[in-house]
Amino acid sequence: MRNYEIMFIVNPSVVEEDIDKINTQIESIITAGGGTVAKVEKMGKRRLAYPVNKNRDGFYVLLTVQATGEIVKETERRLRVMDSVIKYLTVRMDEEIRRQEKIKAHRQKRALRRSTNAGAAARPAPEQSIEE
Amino acid sequence: MAIQKQYYRRKKVCKFCVERIDSINYKDVKLLSQFVPERAKIMPRRISGVCSPHQRRLTDAIMKARNIALLPFATE
Repeated sequence: MRNYEIMFIVNPSVVEEDIDKINTQIESIITAGGGTVAKVEKMGKRRLAYPVNKNRDGFYVLLTVQATGEIVKETERRLRVMDSVIKYLTVRMDEEIRRQEKIKAHRQKRALRRSTNAGAAARPAPEQSIEE
Repeated sequence: MAIQKQYYRRKKVCKFCVERIDSINYKDVKLLSQFVPERAKIMPRRISGVCSPHQRRLTDAIMKARNIALLPFATE
């Protein structure tokens, strides 16, 4: 199981209830395959940076899910078939999350070390960024 | 020093290192748009001063944002 973010844009002429319907449909695909939907966020209507299928605006929806590659594949296939969905993007997030945690842990350790010998060390250690 | 510069040039620093911005997310249009000038190209490091690990992540994020129409590929 991996963390993914699925973002898709719905045609702006579609009414709000139909967007909810699409969302529940997508959710059911994911849960049917054994994945879980952590969050469904309707980001609302916003202007597209460039026209997509002659649409200048779009309704953005963001799903944060835990799923396998198979489920994502199926979800993307379904999104492609739907007429009202004009664009979608799936991003894998687990590596990013792990990186964040690493940085956080590193910072905590550093803060702890600094607070313990704050008096002894007159000059603070030079900052260095951690990047793999 | 052999060559004396005639004017003082401020050293460029990486925004992400200085401000401790951990995540360069494709959804953060406000942050990303600082690095896409008018023609919607990605700003080179020599101008923005971003360090190479962060530039890599930044490029990645901008490309994702372009894909989902949050940022333009080019301005007309």
